[in-house]
This record gives sequence, structure tokens and C-alpha cells, in this order.
Amino acid sequence: MHSFFDPASPQARAVAGLWWWMFGVGFVIWLGVAALAVYVANAGHGQRESDDLMHVPPETRRRIERIVSASVFATVLVLAVFLVYDFSVGRLLAQHPQRALTIDVVGHQWWWEVQYEDPNPSKRVGTANEIHVPVGETVQFKLRAADVIHSFWAPNMNGKRDLIPGYVSTLWFKADTAGVYRGQCAEFCGLQHAQMAFYIVAEPPVKFAAWLAAGSAPPEPPTDSTLLYGQRVFMSSGCAVCHAIGGTEAKATVGPDLTHFKGRSSIAAGSLANTRANLTRWIQNPSAIKPGVRMPALPFKPAELNALVSYLETLK
Amino acid sequence: MTTLPVNEKLPADVTLSPDELLREAMALDTTWRDKPGVWGWLSAVDHKTTAKRYIITAFLMFIAGGIEAALMRLQLARPENNLIGPDRYNQLFTTHGTTMMFLFAVPIMTAMGLYFVPLMIGARSIAFPRLNAFGFWNYFVGVVFLYVSLFANTGPDTGWFAYVPLSGPAYSPGHRVDVWAQVVTFTEIAALCGAVNIIATVFKMRAPGMSLNRIPLFVWAQLVVAFMIVFAMPAVATGSTLMLATDRAVNMHWFNPAEGGDALLWQHIFWFFGHPEVYIIFLPAVGMVTPIIETFCRRQVFGYTAIVMANITTAFFAFGLWVHHMFATPIPELGQSLFTAASMVIAIPTGLQIFCWIATMWAGRPRLTVPMLFVLGFLFTFINGGITGVMLASVAFDKQAHDTFFVVAHLHYVLIGGGLMPLFGAFYYWFPKITGRLLKESWGKLHFWLFLIGTNVTFFPMHVLGLNGMPRRIYTYLAPTGWGPLNLLATAGALTIALSVLIFVVNAAKSWFGGELAKENPWEAAGLEWATASPPPPYNFIHTPLVRSRHPLWEPTVELPVVVGLRSDRREILVTTTFDARPDSRHNSPDGSIWPLYTALSMGLVFIGSIFSPYFVLGGLGVSLVGLLGWAWQSTQPSGVERVALPDGPIVERV
Amino acid sequence: MKPLRPVDDVSALPTVTFGPRSLMWWGTLGFMTIEGWTTALLVGSYLYLRQNYEAWPPLRTPYPSLLIPSINLLLLLVSVVPSAMVAKAAKRLDEPAVKRWLLVMCAATIPTLVLRWWELWALNTRWDTTAYGSAAWTIVGFHTSLLLLDILDTIGLTLFFFIKKMPVKAFSDATDNSFYWYFTVGVWIPVYLIVYVGPRIF
Repeated sequence: MHSFFDPASPQARAVAGLWWWMFGVGFVIWLGVAALAVYVANAGHGQRESDDLMHVPPETRRRIERIVSASVFATVLVLAVFLVYDFSVGRLLAQHPQRALTIDVVGHQWWWEVQYEDPNPSKRVGTANEIHVPVGETVQFKLRAADVIHSFWAPNMNGKRDLIPGYVSTLWFKADTAGVYRGQCAEFCGLQHAQMAFYIVAEPPVKFAAWLAAGSAPPEPPTDSTLLYGQRVFMSSGCAVCHAIGGTEAKATVGPDLTHFKGRSSIAAGSLANTRANLTRWIQNPSAIKPGVRMPALPFKPAELNALVSYLETLK
Repeated sequence: MTTLPVNEKLPADVTLSPDELLREAMALDTTWRDKPGVWGWLSAVDHKTTAKRYIITAFLMFIAGGIEAALMRLQLARPENNLIGPDRYNQLFTTHGTTMMFLFAVPIMTAMGLYFVPLMIGARSIAFPRLNAFGFWNYFVGVVFLYVSLFANTGPDTGWFAYVPLSGPAYSPGHRVDVWAQVVTFTEIAALCGAVNIIATVFKMRAPGMSLNRIPLFVWAQLVVAFMIVFAMPAVATGSTLMLATDRAVNMHWFNPAEGGDALLWQHIFWFFGHPEVYIIFLPAVGMVTPIIETFCRRQVFGYTAIVMANITTAFFAFGLWVHHMFATPIPELGQSLFTAASMVIAIPTGLQIFCWIATMWAGRPRLTVPMLFVLGFLFTFINGGITGVMLASVAFDKQAHDTFFVVAHLHYVLIGGGLMPLFGAFYYWFPKITGRLLKESWGKLHFWLFLIGTNVTFFPMHVLGLNGMPRRIYTYLAPTGWGPLNLLATAGALTIALSVLIFVVNAAKSWFGGELAKENPWEAAGLEWATASPPPPYNFIHTPLVRSRHPLWEPTVELPVVVGLRSDRREILVTTTFDARPDSRHNSPDGSIWPLYTALSMGLVFIGSIFSPYFVLGGLGVSLVGLLGWAWQSTQPSGVERVALPDGPIVERV
Repeated sequence: MKPLRPVDDVSALPTVTFGPRSLMWWGTLGFMTIEGWTTALLVGSYLYLRQNYEAWPPLRTPYPSLLIPSINLLLLLVSVVPSAMVAKAAKRLDEPAVKRWLLVMCAATIPTLVLRWWELWALNTRWDTTAYGSAAWTIVGFHTSLLLLDILDTIGLTLFFFIKKMPVKAFSDATDNSFYWYFTVGVWIPVYLIVYVGPRIF
């Protein structure tokens, strides 16, 4: 689900309403003017060719003047109505509660870092490229950019906001229909601007609360020998230079937090479905899927790769 | 109509015999014709020669930009296509935008003015023909530089808007963005030279009697746009040359937030230029629509004064809209509302002009020739783009549509509808004047219909794609997005456009070298450009026409009143007063010179060299200095006896 | 083609004019507008960046020195006098006086360009330390290019007047050169106030 035409929040619904009104009025105006132009171009109302080229008879002139003035007046009127409607939608969009669940989003080339704010730092939940929100509750987003300008846009929820280095932007919406909604970076941000998607998962508050509570807990440490081997590979081969996994010594923030990696539906900011085969393919050569991506292809032996993938698959 | 501001002093029985006219014409031809040979070709300063070079180069740029667009459409024709990778794709869309805006649209609109403004106001030449040639060569250096860079895989790749910090030194190392910044500099210089030229020409060189209220509407549009260029282009020159290039070359921090710089400053500066840019393309096109409608409806346009006022109002408001490109950025909401209101208000003067044209057609008897068809095509297409433009003025809606294919659709409806359609109409209309040959109507009609259909098939589906979530400037998309079918349709439309343009090119080439010969005024039009041969001689008019109304050639008199007394043994032009166009003085216009080309090339060395080392700048400036000295030396050659009007005294004769 | 009927004869009109009656004056005015506007945009951007700072100049950056810039401002203002004298003599077509005053004008204007070097360093910051420094250097640097251009024009004009027989229209060019110099000096006054004095005020 990735469309302005299926609003899933009061905010997106208000704008969609405005759109359908504008579309209707605009279409009528376009049709009217176009039809008039075709009609006058073919009708040949004017006098004969031999008539005076420079002057139109006064009565015709007066009639034309009246019609043109009326048309300009009508234009002004339509614009005035539109302006009032637009400002009323604008006011509605600007309304938000004093306090709300706040989600920090940081745009990176080319993925989304997500942090759920909590007064208790240990309860902050970090994830990437997939944002869970409770249905029926207004959520605030604080948007920042780590490198270049990005733009956060989930059309089913609300309009976009640019993430600009040196600035913090905010965005509010209240999902009112449960579902999974796709969003994508809307400001050109370099080579992989095309593959910088994210998902909004709107779920009932109870389910959301459970997800959030689980999020602050680290995954269970591996016990199986293959998995332990996979974890060692992760820690020693370079993965941990960029990625973090809760409850382990991997705490880097260069790449996406992988604590609950398997709980997400996609790999590489919406580029691939999160399956074992795709994950293997991705780790083997990220640039084959996302040319220019910052993640390097590390020279894993087949056994290492297999263990690593098995380990990552357990991070639920 | 107001009374004549010009005295008709000579008695009615003074006449010019055919012999006298022939002798005069031959003398003028010797004086005004650019020298033959390669050197003469490189030194040419005839405004028509310069303008033709501009038009042809700019049209080649249109084809280049079109090929880039077609390649992008092929890549997007289906999901996860592998035709073009992201690196190449980013260079393509950046070069497409840069080419179409900086190297095609603005130059070709200016070039039409540089060709026709002197002819339409009855002047022998343009105010500063050498400056004009200098502007062209600058532009030409920019064109060559961009395309050599593109083929050397150094094409700019951060969009025609080059947003920082992506285009800054940290995220775009290498020289790709430098190429962009310098290409912009070249075209700025060219546009500014053209604008100053047009302002001086329109203010001081109008035919006697052409008071402000008799200036043809195309010339009015060019004048208003020249003023817009004077205030808009310095903004992008400031941003690209004085800020972005210095950030990149000498570590300045204009846009570096870590040192107090500001990424949004670039957006303010860029759009302060970028929004007026749209009207810099649109207003000259509007100026082309009016004479086409007048000629083929055989009626003077309804609401001359209203249209002039609409042009001026549009120009003013155009500078007050830039923030509507930045609604998604964190700027105060009150400010945004003001820009919403301004963006809607600008629809009023545009609407007024459309109503005036429809009224003119209503009062007349339209003949649906190819130029008229393009005017109708302009109305259908442009109004669509105008309506989506008003929609985008809404902050709430813009935050959804901004940076999506909806905006791609909108801007192409505006620029193709409001710029290209009138321009094609103008090509058919003025082609006989420029070349002395008529374009083939039947081919023209085919061109028109394919172009109209192609444009709508390409761009209409993009509205839907954008609202379905497809952002701009993406080189690929996944199949589950469902964007495939409409993209395929758009690609089919793009190929239709390409076919229609091909038909036009073949038609133009065939007609130029063997088409039906055109008379001096094949359409029985009213403007002064039709009062001379097709193509016009180097001196434009044997004698300067005298103007008594807005439609000199539709005057019911048998004879065309002219002013005599300009010398034919040197390049002399008539200077008139700014408001009433009373004859005021005779000005000695410069002849051909190699220095404009030399100076443009040496400036090219400065700007292109600045990318690589500051020493190039110093060396280039030294080389340029020689050019300026040579230019000045040539401009101060003895010119014989002059009649000098002392500021507070009599006229004296001096050598 | 309609037959032509002569209704007026312009052969008695002058061929060299001064000021707004001449085309060159309008061209000069056009480029002055462009350059003045560019300066205004730079100053606007300088003030825009001001909002990003608590203190202006930024912490640990000293105020610009006032001594050299003030001396140079004075020099620039004084140089308007010989410049005006050139224009006055040119309007009388008085060649010896034009030559004399052009020499004085060179003598008065060239030192301003020399002083400009120290004036740049009087900003007391570098262009690559902070955005404040970048903005100040760019504005003063841009004005320096205007200064350089007009001084080169003056030198060239002087040189030509001494080494070759100048056509009479060169007198009109000399007045336009002075006109451009007034602009160059005029545009410096607000730049001086904002860039050198301004940080002490805002």
C-alpha cells in the first residue's frame, strides 16, 4: 500500500478531500476553456476579411469586455474559495497534542535510522527502515539528516518533510486504519535515492505496546555452535564496525541497528524481501543489488557466510 | 489612438525613385554585411547572424536533452530494468534538466528576441552587437564544455538544482558538480549580455513614432523578461559561482552547517532565480502567441494594455513565489501561507491573457494554419499545467505531490505547453522571414498532432504515478509498487514526441534548402518585421519606418512612411527618445570583430581552469586582459567627422 | 511591398551624445544594476547567515579592524573628485584637461586597490574558518573585482588618450567611466558599514 489515494490517517484524508475538490473544479475549468477555444477557433464569428482589420465594432467590443471581465472575476472567486479551503486544511494539519509518542528518524545514504524516544535511555528502542505506530494515536516524528538532504514521505499517512543537515523538522500523523504502508525518500540524495524505502506498520495499540516492549529487550544469545560461530564471524569480520546488535559488544551506528533484524520485512531499505536466500545474496555482494551502497562485500568463506546468515536469522 | 509624437516635416511631394532605393540598398549592403571567409564568419556581429547561431545551437541542445529524456524513459519503461545504472542515470537527468533550462529554453527565447526585436521596432541592428556576439560565444563554450564532460563521464549528477550538501565538497568529490557550476556561469553571462542588449535596444532604438503604447506585444514580453533576467540571473550566479564553487574550490563554508553555514540558503538563492526562470521562458512564448493570433484571426488583439500590465504583474509576482518550492522544508508556516496566496494570485494575470486571446479569436475569423494549431495546443496543454500549478500552491497538497512524478507532469505541461508549443508555432510563423522559405503545412499538421498526442500520453499518466507514490529522480523501482504499466505508457508517449520532432527537423531541413519561396509578408501580418525582404538584408530596412499605430502594415495608407538621412557609408543607427520615440541622435554601430570570440574563449579558460587550479584563473585573466585591450583599441579607432551634442550647448562638428 | 514615402530627415541629428542620450550609458547602467544587485544578494546572504550565530562575529573571532578600511573609504570618496573633473572636462571636449584629470584619477584610484589587500586581512578572519569569514571575504572580494575592473578601464582609457588619436566619442566613454566609478564607490559605502562596522552593532 503506497498511495495518496488510500488515506489511512485523518491528515492524509483531509488532503485527499482537498485534492478531489481541486480536481473536480480544475477539470470543469479546463474543459470549459478548452471547449470555448475550440468553438471560437472554428466558428468564425468575426466579420468578413474585407472589414477594417484594426477596429472591432463598439457593441461587439463592449460585449467582449463584459465577458472577459466576468471571466476574470470568476477566476478570482474560485481562487478565493480555494484559498479558504486550503487554509482550513492547513489548520487541521497543524493541530497536534502537546505530548505524544515521539519517534526520531535520521536519514542516511541510503537508509532510515529509527529511535523511539523514552525518558529512560535504556528503554529507547532502535530499529531501521520499518516504523511501527499505534492505530488511533497521534505520533510525532523528529526528522534529521546525517549526511545530505532526504525527504520522509508516506503518502497514506501525511505529506512529506525534508530532513536537512543542521535542522530538525517535525511531522505528525495519526494512523486510523491498521496496515502496512510503504514510504520512500522523496528528495534526491545520491546514487541509491531510488532504493531508500521504509514501511509504516500501523497496528492496534496493544500489539504495538507489546512490540515496543520486546524491542527494548536484547535478543536471546545464541547457544547452538553454528550460531555462536556466526556471531563470532559477525564480531570479527567487520560487520560490527558498522552495525549494532543489542546485548552484544556490537554498538556501531554507521549502518542499521540489527538487534531485531529478523522482525523487519525487508533488507536494505525496502530493496529485498527479508528471506534467507535474499540475505545471503545481499551479504555476498551488496553492490550488485544497490550499486554504490556503503556496505562492502566482505570475503566470507561459504561456511562463515552460512553461519553468519543463520545467526542473523535468529535476531527476532 | 494618441496623436503623432513625430513631426512629419518633409513635403508630400518628396519621393524616392526606384533607382535611388537600389543605390541606397547596395551601399547599405556593402557597409553592413559581415566580411566573407572564415575570419569574417568568426568576427560576425550582425544580430541576425548571432541569433541564428543561438537558435540552431539551442535547438541542437533541445535534441540532446530530448535524447537524454528518451533514454531515461526507456530505463523506466519497466520495473527493475537494467538498461542504465544509477551513476549514468543521475548524469542523464541532471544533464537533461540543465540542458533544457539553461542551454535550450532560456537561450532560444532570448535568441528569438535578439533576432526579431530590432526588426519589429524598425531598427537597423541591436544596441551592442559585439557584446551580443560575446554572449553567444560564452554560451557556446558552456555547451561544448557540458557535453565534452558528459562524454568523458564527468557529467554533473546532482540534479539541475544541485542541492547542497549533496553537491558540496564532502558528498560530491571530483569535478562533476564543478562542471555544472561553470556551465551555469557561462549561460548567466550570455543571458545577461542578451538582456542588457534588449533593454537598451527597446528603450533607445525604436522606430520614430513607436511610443511605449505602440510597442508590439512580443517586444514588450522580451523587455519585461530582460528585466527579469537582470534580477534573477545574478542570484544563481551568486549561488553557483560565488558560493558553491568557492565552497568546493577554496573550502569556504557558505553551506556547511558545521561551521555556521546553511543548506537552506542555497535553496532560497536557487529558487529566487529558479521560479522567475519559468516566467523567463513563459513570457516570451506568450509574446509569440499574440502576433500569431492577430495575424491568423485578422484582428488586433483584444486588451493590449491589459496584456502589457499582465506581463509586468507576472514579472513582479514571479519574484515572490520562490518559497513554494520549499514547502517541505522546516520554514515558518506563516511565511508559507503568504507564498500560497502569491502563487494563486499569479494565476489571475495569466488567466486574463488567455481570456483576451480567446476574445480576439471570437472577434475574428481564425484560419487554422499550423501556427494557430500550436496556439490551440498551447491553450489545452498549458491550462492543464496552470491548474495543477494552482493546486501545488496549496501547502497541504504540495507536501504530498512535491518531488513526485506529479510535479514532473506539472512542470512539463507548463514548459511544453507554455513554452514549446508557442515556440513551434513561432517557428512555422517566422521561418519564412528567417530563411525566405515556407515550411510545408501538411508535414506541420502531422508534427502538431503527433506532438500533442505524444505530450499528453507521456505526461498525463505521471500525475497518477506521482500520487501513487513514485518520487522523482529514481533510476529504478520494484515491481510490487505497481508503477510499471503507466510508466510503459509514458515511454510510448515519449517516443511519439521524438517521432514528431524528427518530422519537424526533416521538414525544416527540406524547406530551408528547397521549400516554396516566401514573399516579404506571406501571412499579411501587421508587424514591421514583415516590412522588409525575407530573409532580411544585413541592414534590416533601406529606410527606417515611421510608426503611426500598433499595426503599421495594417494602416489603410498606400505608402509606408519612412525616415531618411541615416548615412549608408558607415553603420549608422537611429537613436530615439525612451518614451515617445522621437528621433534624437545617430549612433555609429560597430562592425565585425574577432575580439568577442577571443574574449569569450579566454574567459572560458578562467572559468574552466578555476576548477583545476587558481593559477589558471590568474593566467586566464592575463589572457583576457589582452582581449579587453584589443577590443577597446578597436572601439576607439578614428571615425571621421562627428556632430557632437554637448550636454549644455550647441551641436559642434569635430574629428 | 508598400512603396516608401519619406516623411522626415534625420541627417541633422548629432552622432555623439552624452549621458542618457547615448546607448553606452544605458549599457553601463544595465551592468551596474546587475553588479549592484549581486552585491545586495551577497549582503542579504551575509545577514541570513547571521541568524545561525549567537554572536557576530562568532566566538573567538575578533572584530574587523577599522583603521585601514576607514582610510580606504576616505580615499575612495576623495577619488570621486578627479573622476568628476574628468567627466566635466570631457563634456567640454577639452582634451588636455581630460588627460590631466585622468592621470590624477589613476593616482587616486590605484592606491585603493593596493590598500584593498590589507583591507581583506583587516577582516581578521580567514575565508575557510567559519561561514562568517566566507561571507565577509566573498562580499569584499566581489567588490574588489568591480574595483579592479573599473581601475583597469581607467588605466586603459588614460593610456589610449596619451598614445593614440582618440575619436571624439571617447569623450563620451570617459564620462561613462566616471559614472561607473561613482557606482563602485557608492556601492562600497553600505558594504563597509555592514561588513566592517556592522559586527560591532549587531
